[in-house]
Amino acid sequence: MTTSVDIVIEICGSAGEGTISAGEVMTRFMSSKGYEIVSFDSFPSEIRGFGKCVAHFRASTETVLAPGKYTDVLIALNDAHAITQLSGLRKNGVLIYDSKPPVCHEEDRSIAGWAEPGMTAYGIPMLELANKAAGNAKGRNMVAIGAVACLFGIAPEEMTAFIERRFKGKKPKIIESNIDSFLLGYEWTKTHVSKEDPYTFKGAEIVPPEGEKTIMNGNEAVAMAAMDSGLRLYAGYPITPATKIMEILSKRLGESGGVMIQTEDEISAAGNVVGAGFSGKRAMTATSGPGFALMGEMINLAVMAEVPAVIVNSQRGGPSTGLPTKMEQSDLSAAVNGGTGDSPRVVFAPRDVVDCYAITCLAFYIAEKYQTPVVILLDFYLSNSIRNIDKPVPPDAEMCSSNVFPADEALDDYERFKITESGISPRTLPGMPFGMFVDTGLEHNTYGKPVYDGENHLVMTEKRYRKFHTMQAELPPAVETGTEGEVEIGILSWGSSSGAAEEAVRKAQEKGQRIASFHCSVIYPLPEEALKAFSRRCRILVVAELNYTGQYANLIAPVLNREVRRLTLITGLPMASEDILEFIGTFKG
Amino acid sequence: MPKDDHYVIIGNGPAGNSAADTLRKEDPEAKITLISDEKSLYYYKHRVPLYTVGGCEPEDLSIRPYRSYLENRIRLRLGQRVEKVVPAEKLLYLNHMEKVHYTKLILAVGASARRLPNHAGFADHLYCLAGLDDARRVRKAMMAASRLVVLGGDLISMGFAREARKAGKEVVFILYSSLFWPVSLKEEIQQSVTKRLNSLGVKVMSDAEPVTDVRPEGEGYTLTLPDGEEMSTDLVLSFFGSVPNIRFLVGSGINTEKGVLVDHLMRSNQEDVYACGDCAQIYNPELKDYWVSVGWGNAEAQGELTAMNLLGREKVIDYQPKEIFEMDGVTIRTSWWKTFA
Ligand SMILES: Cc1cc2nc3c(=O)[nH]c(=O)nc-3n(C[C@H](O)[C@H](O)[C@H](O)COP(=O)(O)OP(=O)(O)OC[C@H]3O[C@@H](n4cnc5c(N)ncnc54)[C@H](O)[C@@H]3O)c2cc1C
Repeated sequence: MTTSVDIVIEICGSAGEGTISAGEVMTRFMSSKGYEIVSFDSFPSEIRGFGKCVAHFRASTETVLAPGKYTDVLIALNDAHAITQLSGLRKNGVLIYDSKPPVCHEEDRSIAGWAEPGMTAYGIPMLELANKAAGNAKGRNMVAIGAVACLFGIAPEEMTAFIERRFKGKKPKIIESNIDSFLLGYEWTKTHVSKEDPYTFKGAEIVPPEGEKTIMNGNEAVAMAAMDSGLRLYAGYPITPATKIMEILSKRLGESGGVMIQTEDEISAAGNVVGAGFSGKRAMTATSGPGFALMGEMINLAVMAEVPAVIVNSQRGGPSTGLPTKMEQSDLSAAVNGGTGDSPRVVFAPRDVVDCYAITCLAFYIAEKYQTPVVILLDFYLSNSIRNIDKPVPPDAEMCSSNVFPADEALDDYERFKITESGISPRTLPGMPFGMFVDTGLEHNTYGKPVYDGENHLVMTEKRYRKFHTMQAELPPAVETGTEGEVEIGILSWGSSSGAAEEAVRKAQEKGQRIASFHCSVIYPLPEEALKAFSRRCRILVVAELNYTGQYANLIAPVLNREVRRLTLITGLPMASEDILEFIGTFKG
Repeated sequence: MPKDDHYVIIGNGPAGNSAADTLRKEDPEAKITLISDEKSLYYYKHRVPLYTVGGCEPEDLSIRPYRSYLENRIRLRLGQRVEKVVPAEKLLYLNHMEKVHYTKLILAVGASARRLPNHAGFADHLYCLAGLDDARRVRKAMMAASRLVVLGGDLISMGFAREARKAGKEVVFILYSSLFWPVSLKEEIQQSVTKRLNSLGVKVMSDAEPVTDVRPEGEGYTLTLPDGEEMSTDLVLSFFGSVPNIRFLVGSGINTEKGVLVDHLMRSNQEDVYACGDCAQIYNPELKDYWVSVGWGNAEAQGELTAMNLLGREKVIDYQPKEIFEMDGVTIRTSWWKTFA
């Protein structure tokens, strides 16, 4: 019998126990088999130590858009840490724990002791089996994967083949001990455990992936899109959760003649990007909240000097260094309004990994054509979330070269900041004959010369804002899902929370509710007309986002000019459809 | 009582639960933990035979929801087996490698199916019915079975035979009258039992004990009777009463014989360790001997009494049988067995 399957698995351990890598092996394997995967990892901010690591992923035969709030299967590599994850385990969930720890747990320190009636707890002697397989404890994570494979109907030969592929290039001994640990876990479970829970992947109706697929996370998608868009310079300073972008580019950007520089700090990184943008090279930096705060002045400079720049901010919990390895969507206000003066900048927030690629390509195009900084808001979850996506189609030549050059005759008396209807002033690049101009952070006249009178300032400010009107026609439209026409509830969300909103709408619709969702990857300029049109057809409006004050709700409030209900969460976790369903479930009438 | 008292009860049957309830009622502050190796919530054992024939579902057996333990602040640890008791340290070791400290301990661990030594050679082929875990296995096997042989028996076997007949199964009952449990059958009662079983359509064989072999054959089993004759069937069930679950106490210093030896106040020889219900062997000052208790009502009453004794409110057990057991029209005098409506 083939059926639809939707299982959320969580592996929890201590740093150094292979928790995240076990999660990665599982997610990439399941994804390669054709399952829809949504994953979310969290780990301590300390580089090494004993902090808690959680690899959380959802594998489904259906399209899934959010990580799933409740866990079906919890694998405890470390009891003390995993006990705190038990509250998220379903009442009929499965717990897999190490039944032979080196010493007997003190009272209340064993996760098996906390399993509630209705849950199924399987004890696997992980440490003992890992020692047997490889002579050390390292393979406990693979023993656990072996147990999972056996309990939930994953063919061992497929997994071992995958492990071989995945670890290709590593020492044969390492590959061997991983496979041995996996197989021992599998065999032990097969002979010693009788299955009592209802979960299985056996017989799952998977649609084999069509066309060429590629497995990547949000950071990888951004890095790849940047390279495909003709990135020449990446300048950055490492920071969680954006570092991976830099890591990838440090390895690969050179292949296409680009340059990756690790700067001394984020001010310098942004300065490099603005400098490269000024000279006509596509350039990008990626950071997180604390680094973004430092980049503020350079972004302002790019606004005033009308220089293209792409700045990725993968948000984490803030303010300040905040919660480095936790999920939050709380830099929206800083991204949109963080500049001094009237400092418009484009802000995009992709919704998923596919969107990360598309939005990054668009960011380079828009930045160059409209001579503006573009901020891409990722977040901890999106940066790390692995998806199996159709191989992205690289941008065409027009997308890769979008500078608006002046006509030859305009060079007779070149006005760099010429007032135009579109707001775009044709731009020369350094070295172009007769295209010289002055560019500073000071307010200027059409030639770039500093001018401080109010009349000029108004004209220039209007011109800079006019570009944002003009670009609207080229920006992706809002996406609405769910019931058409008038609805009871409309859910607005942004960035990676949109998946949860869409999934919540789908589930509520199945229960007969008239409900719809609204998402736009363009945060600024605001899609005013689309927002108003959506608002008109909703009796109740909900804005669901992961920050305390309701930053998106605040941003769109003047446009909507009506009451909205705010679902604002700062749990450090990504939004789940259950969060939204539970929230709207509290509405009366 | 100091606040850091921790009353631990092993066993989630009537004895354990009534002890826990009483302790909570009498001592609202105490920390109470109930541990049991069975995974199921507290359930009615007398409905288990009905469950095996598909006449009810696990939720129909359940006595109270998990919520009620939370509300009463009783920590319920199910599916957790106590492997070792160390009275000197007031410490328990659980199977998943966790220590639990107690200040007072109640053993209410009940009993398991008794198996006959002369059935040892083929014990693997006999199904028992001491609890819900057994019942799940029996239910699964029963689905494909139309003919059953019951070796026995005991009071439970009669309830089981009745339900199996109602479900349309053919039932042969090989009656071991001298080994009937908890009392061997006197001629008069044996006749009454046979009559009753016959009236249910059960074929009773009272001269076919002991069965000398059971071996799998095809989808079912073949039995060999003492005269060498063979009989085939789909399933063979063994019902010979129960033996107290005391093996895990070996080496603990807690005195046991058939069960845990306790005095008239349910105290074992070890300080702060008590026992009650099917696992207890209680001193009877009148008989000047110990007797093993059986039955639901008995376990419940003893659980309450043990809790009171643990709290220092001395309560001595009533030795007189409260009830005459009657099942399916057969009257058997036995202590404490409870008839359910
Ligand atoms: C099928 C069936 C039908 C019955 N019908 C009737 C009837 O109609 N009337 C009647 O009066 N009686 C009946 N009984 C008998 C009655 O159920 C028992 O006498 C009663 O349950 C005994 O209660 P108890 O609390 O002492 O032990 P139990 O109910 O047996 O509970 C003891 C618990 O302790 C657990 N345990 C044991 N060892 C350990 C350990 N080391 N660690 C953790 N946990 C442990 C056991 O698994 C069990 O869950 C029936 C019994 C059965 C099996």
